Formats: sequence, C-alpha cells, structure tokens
Amino acid sequence: MIRMEIALIFILAFVAFVYFSAEGRQSLLHRTFSILLISTLIHLVFDAASVYTVNHLDTVPRLLNDILHRFFIGTMVLCVYLFYQYIAILAQEETGKQRRMDLAAKIYLAIAELGVLLLPVHYAVTPEGNYSDGIHVSVCYISVAFYLFLCAGILIRNWKQLETKRKMAIGAALAVEFLVSMLQAGHPTWLISGMGLTLMTLAFYLTLENPDIFRAELTEQKMSMLYLKSQVNPHFLYNTLDTIRIQAQLNGDKKVADLLMRLADFFRLSVKVDRQMVALDDELELLEAYMDLMCYRYPGIRCEYDIDPNLGGAQVPNFILQPIVENSFLHGLKNKGYRGEVRISAQRAVENRNRMEIQVSDTGGGFAEGAKEKIDDLLLHYAKQAPKLEGSSIGILNVQKRVKLFCGQDCGLWYTENPGGGVTAHLLLPVMEEGKK
Amino acid sequence: MKKLKVLLVDDEIMIREGFKRLFDWEAHDCEVVGEAADGMEALAQIDSLRPDIVIMDINIPIMSGLKVIQLSRIKHPSIAYVIVSGYDDFSYCQQALRMKITDYILKPVNYEEFGNCIDNLKIALFEQKIAEEPEEHEERVITLITRYLQEHLAQDVSLSVLAEEFHLNAQYISQLFKNEIGVGFLAYLTSIRMEKAKKLLVSTSLSVAEVAEQSGYGDYRVFTKVFKKTEGITPSQYRRDFLDETSGRG
Repeated sequence: MIRMEIALIFILAFVAFVYFSAEGRQSLLHRTFSILLISTLIHLVFDAASVYTVNHLDTVPRLLNDILHRFFIGTMVLCVYLFYQYIAILAQEETGKQRRMDLAAKIYLAIAELGVLLLPVHYAVTPEGNYSDGIHVSVCYISVAFYLFLCAGILIRNWKQLETKRKMAIGAALAVEFLVSMLQAGHPTWLISGMGLTLMTLAFYLTLENPDIFRAELTEQKMSMLYLKSQVNPHFLYNTLDTIRIQAQLNGDKKVADLLMRLADFFRLSVKVDRQMVALDDELELLEAYMDLMCYRYPGIRCEYDIDPNLGGAQVPNFILQPIVENSFLHGLKNKGYRGEVRISAQRAVENRNRMEIQVSDTGGGFAEGAKEKIDDLLLHYAKQAPKLEGSSIGILNVQKRVKLFCGQDCGLWYTENPGGGVTAHLLLPVMEEGKK
Repeated sequence: MKKLKVLLVDDEIMIREGFKRLFDWEAHDCEVVGEAADGMEALAQIDSLRPDIVIMDINIPIMSGLKVIQLSRIKHPSIAYVIVSGYDDFSYCQQALRMKITDYILKPVNYEEFGNCIDNLKIALFEQKIAEEPEEHEERVITLITRYLQEHLAQDVSLSVLAEEFHLNAQYISQLFKNEIGVGFLAYLTSIRMEKAKKLLVSTSLSVAEVAEQSGYGDYRVFTKVFKKTEGITPSQYRRDFLDETSGRG
C-alpha cells in the first residue's frame, strides 16, 4: 500500500513540476488548479504517513497517529472542496452564470473541518490490515458525497452550454472519484482514497490545464495577428511615407507633412507584432495617431482623452484599443454624419485596485434594434464563435479573445448604452507592470 | 561664439535635403559644410572638412555608421555625433550609447524639435572643453555657474537665484550662457535635468515620480511632458526600451 502512495506522490510531484515550470497564467481558474495541485500533494504525504502508522499501532504513539489522521482527513475534505470550486469556476466561465452554491460549500467546509478537528478517531484492527473507522472517517465520506453531489448538479444544470471536452473531463473525474470512494467504503483495508484524488487531478491536468494545449492556443493567436499584418512589408511602407513627408515639407506643405508624419507613426507603432503585450503608453500613442488622422478626415469629430498618467506603464495586449475606436467611428458616428465626440478614459477600477477600466464613449447613433443583444451574445460566447475573416465584429471579437487569453477570464470587453445617446465600450484589464507578474 | 560646422551623412538624399533645408541652422549658430552618402565618403569628408558635429545615419552602404565613428574617433576625438536611427535598428543605438556618442534621434525626424538635440551637443562640447582646460587658480564664472547648477539641479534654481548666489546681474548671466555655451539658460537647465533623469531611469529602480523630484521637477506630470517633448518617448517607455534592448528583447 505504502508503495502505491509513494508512486502517486511522485506522479503528482512530476505533474506539479511541469505545470509550474510552464508559462504563468493569470486567471482565477488556473490559480485554483495550482492550489488544488499543491493541496493534493500535501494530502498524499499525510495519506502515506498515516497508511504507515495505522499498521504500526503498537510502535507509533497514539497521539502522533491521531494527529496524522486528522491532517489526512482534513486535507482530503479541503481537496474535494477545491475540486468543487474548480468545476464551479469552470462552469461560470463557460456559461457566464454566477456560482450559486459557493456560500453553502464554504459553510460546509468550515463545519466539516471543525468535525475533523474535534471528533474522536477510532482504529479497526483486522488480520488483513488496520484502518481508521467510526464517526471521524464518516466526515470524509459525507464530504465527498456532498461535493460530488454539488459538482454533478453543476454538470447537469449546464450540460447544454458546456463544451464537450470539458463535459467529458468533469464527468470522467466525478465518475472515477465516485467509483474509488465506493470501493474504499466496501473494502476499508484497501486504503485507496489517495488514488481517487490523484486520478481526478490528473484528469483535469491532461484535458484542461495542459501547458501544451495552452501554448497551441497562443500560437494560433500569434499566427492570425501575423497574417493580418504581413500583407505588405511595413518598413517599406513607413520609410516611403517618410520620404514623401520630407518632400511635402520641402515644397512648403506643412499640413500634408504633419499628416504623413502621423501616418508613418501609425504604421511604425502597429508593426510591433512580435510582442503580445505592450505598455498602455505605446497603445495610446498608436491610438492618438489613428485619431488624429480620422479627425483630420472628418473635422466634425472631436476626441478627448482622460488618462490616469500612473497607468502608462501597465502592460496590455497589443492592438486592442484601435479596433474598438474604429467601431465607434464606423457604427456610432457614421450614422450622425461623422459629427460628434469620442471620449477615451483609463482609470483604476474603484472596487479592485489591481484592475483598470478603459472606456471608449461616443455620441453616435447608438445601437440599432437588436444589435446590442447580438454584440452582448458575441462577446459572452466569444470562445464558441466560428472564425470569420470578414465583418466588422471580427475586430472586437479578436480583442475579447486576446484579453481573455492573456489577462484572465474576469477581464474583458462589454458595451453599454449612454443615457444621452451613443454607446460606451468598457474594457476591464489587469494593472500589471512588466517584470512584476 | 563661432559657428559650428556640420556634416550630414545619410544614404537617402531626401533625408539629407530635409536636414539641410527644414532645420534653421542659422538660428542655432551652425552651418552645414558637407554631405556624404556612404561610410567611405563620410570618413574622407570628416578628414578634409573637420566638422564639429556629424549627423550620422547608422544603416549606410560600404561601411556602417558605427564603424565610421569608431575609426574617426581615433583621429578626431573632439567631434560630436548625432546618431539617426530607425526604430527597427534601435539596438544599434544602444550600442552607440555605450560608445559615448553624444546624442541620438529616431526617424522619422521632426525638424522643429531637432533644435533640442543641437542644444545638447553644444552643452556636451562645452563640458568637454571645460574638462580639457588646464586647472587655473582663477576659474571662469561660467564654469562656476554650471558646476553650481549641476550640484543644485534638484532644487528650484532660476536666473535670480544665480544672480544672488554669484552677485551678478541676471541679464548678464543670461548673456553669458548664450556667449559661452551657445544655448539659453533654461535650455541648459532642462538639458542637464533630462540627462540626470535618463541616468536615474536606466541605472536605478526609482519610480518616475522620484526620478522627477531628483531631477528638479516637483510635479511629475510636468516632468513627463518635458521628457516626452525632448526624448520623443515617455520616461517609462525610455526605461522599458533600455531594459528590453539590454536583456536581448524579452
């Protein structure tokens, strides 16, 4: 038995090593999985220790045996709770529905852990081997049953909205844990509870948290960016523009020279494709160049900036503001004959100082009948949209995808209608400086 | 102050024409004495024309701009160079900074703002001259004043403060700057403050607000604005670009 436990520890330690040495990820889901991985490892250590001590009742002091058992059961309850958390967060991210049973799960956890701490431990001695039984161990079975029940509830309630791959992963993990628990209940001397937890963790790791899958997603994003921008050699473009600019200025046309300077700026800034993340300053510089040019083409448009200067160094995904502003022009202000105002603001979020909100607000025509619902739906179910290569929504869809991928699931893009007409795009992003991830 | 001789080196004729005709050399006490379109020509021109300032594109045929600077440095150590670099070869630029080139600018060149760069060069030439001068018993007033400014640049210094400190007329001090260095008092002060700020940005981990304060700007917003105007990028971008290049583009 003890040999199996040690093997499990090695397997999980290896998984943890691979997982943590891969690129760090920001989202709540990944953080939960990290905690789960560590907790399961700790649990396995106590499991192995107690498997040894329970079979040497006469040589190991009773007190030490009890302490190890309390830790063993306590960490097990914690692990099952974390499994529930992980599945609940996963379902929330997929469907956008709030987690409903969070409070109940937390209260139960507190009560169960209290029970683990206080209830008496009892050991059964049999010729096949020793094990702990009685009320203390029943806490463990009840907890597993309780959380499995909650997880199954989530799975059934969201069956239609969940992606097949995720459904299978969750379903398989639950089935394994259920089976192992039943076997353990029927054959108390087998002491296989650790195996159930390890298999569940492995199931999630292999299907949902595998660094390779994540890397493949990154590559795909990068390729589509490259494709968009590589159709003409940008260096040629902006060097030529610069030559024309100087000629214009030599001919005495300062206005044309200034416009060409802005256009050259725009191209120069937009060729930084090799970076996924850029500083907000860089992103705003690109946007300013774009806005200057648009405002020159349509003199009826004014633009205003209200940027918190402390946020200039914050890292944001490359090229996310321009598509949003372009939408404001094409869908908002165009309907008003290109007259109106675009207002761009970036401030720290009030409720969470580690987040900032960028708003792009226009005084345009607002959403057409039913358009708001379509956009909301598009942005909420961004992951399931078929890749299209045309249409105006591809820009914001691409922004949403990259923000979710690089900044975490709680960040993202959404639209609201202004009371005085026009719409506001909201972009919630993390405030992280380079090198301080 | 005598006029400074300028040599333009760039393989694109339009860029040279731009420098020649769109920047007011006269107003900055300079004159363009020659042009070169490749590295070999540049070396020959430097030898025959003995310019004070060379405006140097890096990416030129036959011999790179950096090589030209390296070679001519040996023969003519007192020439000041302005590296003109595209954003795509900014890494060369970092190399140039390690070679103690006086200044660099990025393409596309904004000719109206090129004056800053020339002012910086004049200050650098002046400082070089002071360093080379043999130490005399009686030091010149301008040397004392500039040393005082270097030591007190974090404080609120102005012409009237200087006037009081050195018991001189403010008008006289202002004229002294124009005659001895070739730039105005304010341009000089801004320049040494920016130099200090750049040094702090790349060699310390002080926040931008702290760098602003130590460089004599109580309000870091003002500091950011001035910095952006003279360097073309914000202080945090400057620091990031420097770190990026030195760490091999992370």
